[in-house]
Amino acid sequence: MATFQHQRLTPWLLLAPQLVVVGLFFFWPAGQAIYQSLFTQDPFGLASTFSGLQNFIDVLHDPEYLAAFTVTILFTLSVAVASLCIALLLAVLADRVIKGSRFYRTLLTWPYAVAPAVAAVLWSFLFDPSLGRISHFLELVGVHWDHHINGGQALALVIIASVWVHVSYNFVFFLAGLQAIPKSLLEAAAIDAAGPWRRFWTITFPLLSPIMFFLLITNTTYAFFETFGAIDATTAGGPGGATRTLIYKIYEDGFKGLDVGHSAAQSVLLMILVAALTLVQFRYIERKAHY
Amino acid sequence: MATLTLNALKKRYPNGHLTLHGIDLKVAHGELIVIVGPSGCGKSTLLRSIAGLESITEGDLWIDDTRVNDKEPAQRDIAMVFQNYALYPHMTVFDNMAYALKNRGIPKQECEQKVRETAKLLGLEELLERRPRQLSGGQRQRVAMGRAIVRSPKVFLFDEPLSNLDAALRVQMRLEIRRLLKRLGTTAIYVTHDQVEAMTLADRLVVMNGGQVEQVGAPLELYSRPATRFVARFIGSPSMNLITLEATTSPLAKHPLVRDMPAEPMEKAATLGIRPEHLRITDPLQALFRLEVEMVEPLGADTLVYGHAAGIAEQIVVRLDGIHPLEESAQLYLGAERENLHFFDVEGRRV
Repeated sequence: MATFQHQRLTPWLLLAPQLVVVGLFFFWPAGQAIYQSLFTQDPFGLASTFSGLQNFIDVLHDPEYLAAFTVTILFTLSVAVASLCIALLLAVLADRVIKGSRFYRTLLTWPYAVAPAVAAVLWSFLFDPSLGRISHFLELVGVHWDHHINGGQALALVIIASVWVHVSYNFVFFLAGLQAIPKSLLEAAAIDAAGPWRRFWTITFPLLSPIMFFLLITNTTYAFFETFGAIDATTAGGPGGATRTLIYKIYEDGFKGLDVGHSAAQSVLLMILVAALTLVQFRYIERKAHY
Repeated sequence: MATLTLNALKKRYPNGHLTLHGIDLKVAHGELIVIVGPSGCGKSTLLRSIAGLESITEGDLWIDDTRVNDKEPAQRDIAMVFQNYALYPHMTVFDNMAYALKNRGIPKQECEQKVRETAKLLGLEELLERRPRQLSGGQRQRVAMGRAIVRSPKVFLFDEPLSNLDAALRVQMRLEIRRLLKRLGTTAIYVTHDQVEAMTLADRLVVMNGGQVEQVGAPLELYSRPATRFVARFIGSPSMNLITLEATTSPLAKHPLVRDMPAEPMEKAATLGIRPEHLRITDPLQALFRLEVEMVEPLGADTLVYGHAAGIAEQIVVRLDGIHPLEESAQLYLGAERENLHFFDVEGRRV
């Protein structure tokens, strides 16, 4: 007992790798961002003056920031809702398949192995106005597709690409969740005169809700942060800012515009926003999700 | 109340395996039928076919005057209690019990009244607002029963409902189930692999083996006149001693009790069966054989003695009343009444 309690070093040693990673890639940059958001810096980083909360005030009064905010909300909602719904549908269908189920499951999991940026390039080829297969078919049914010009179409393209990658991730979780539901529950429900549709909504869906909740959080975070690659590789925030999400605008202002102070202020705001959103989800939705 | 008729019921799985080889059974109004057999004998499949959870390959299944082969489980008006109870974990006890009523579009007030009545019957009133995870094993079992009873179905189906409970609770629930079913007077089919449970519950027992029915009858009828060697061995604990008779060589075959069998059955008889409780100590002249004692299990109320006898390959078990201070390697002369000897032919049928 005594030696067990006096092992003070070992736990820290075991935690060290994770702590180093979190410190290096989260706390340090986050601290830097907070620090820099309070200064106005010249583009070459030679001089900086303390400016208090001026950067934040500027950002919040910037119509472009509000536009990016709107795009982000639209993008995040679409990606989260679409990838959750499609993944759930596919998981339910794959769960029913008996013959060749492994084959389907493997295929449906594959897209997750594709880097988001590569997936986005793939989809932008498919939708390319002059070369693309899909845009060609769309032309046949009378839809003129050009995401280089049409802002709505550009947003749709990055949404489709991001959803495609993330459906696989959600699919794995949903399928595991479905298989964890004892078959006898659904049989009991069938005997209790619940049709397939009712069975799904009153038994399967509530039992999946903890997984749903977990995925809702990861999907929102994904849409907020990790789709940078997809956007940068295809539309680069264009046309005319139609696909400029908050994360992309931070990059643009900071690395292209070299406006470090305003960029840092935006990333602090984004951090607060996501933290608040996650908190809200935990407080209000988790209560409904767990039984 | 309803009757249930099974007519040459067959079940073949898509992989070609025949699980039920044509089951015939007639269940009367309010009868409690227990299907018993070793695991893999098809008893659960049979129950699930009656429930409609498995399709029927051939034959007919009738509930009252309706052929229900192609009816959905919900339309058969049956209720089933599952081995793992299959309670809906996200619903309260009340909602669990009301679920089937709600699905059938029964008005809320009537629904509530029925659930409360059933809860009262089963002593669940205090638990209605709890969720399954907050209940003990016995309480869950009771809720599962309540969920079946609340709908007053035509037939109850039980799939080994007590096997997840500990021994003491099992005995208690067994009595409760029997009392409840007799009070409700509903036809019920109960599947178990536990022969004590089967004997104590059943109006009639169905012993199954390898997808076939070996024998149907009242528990004591099966005990005293097993139709096959399998039933003889399966019913009763410890199992019946089954002794292979070599008509010419074994000394047992020449014993008056055995030899004086009517000629024709004796020729066909390949196995002699004697229950351990029917063997008793007797004088050397009347004895069937002399047992070399190898092991003694004193249980207090009775004593189990294991050993071998000359000319008999099988190990013999004897159940003696009370306490017998026997040495291991002691010798016992054992005999039995004529009516307690069972003979089975080469195919294992009773002669």
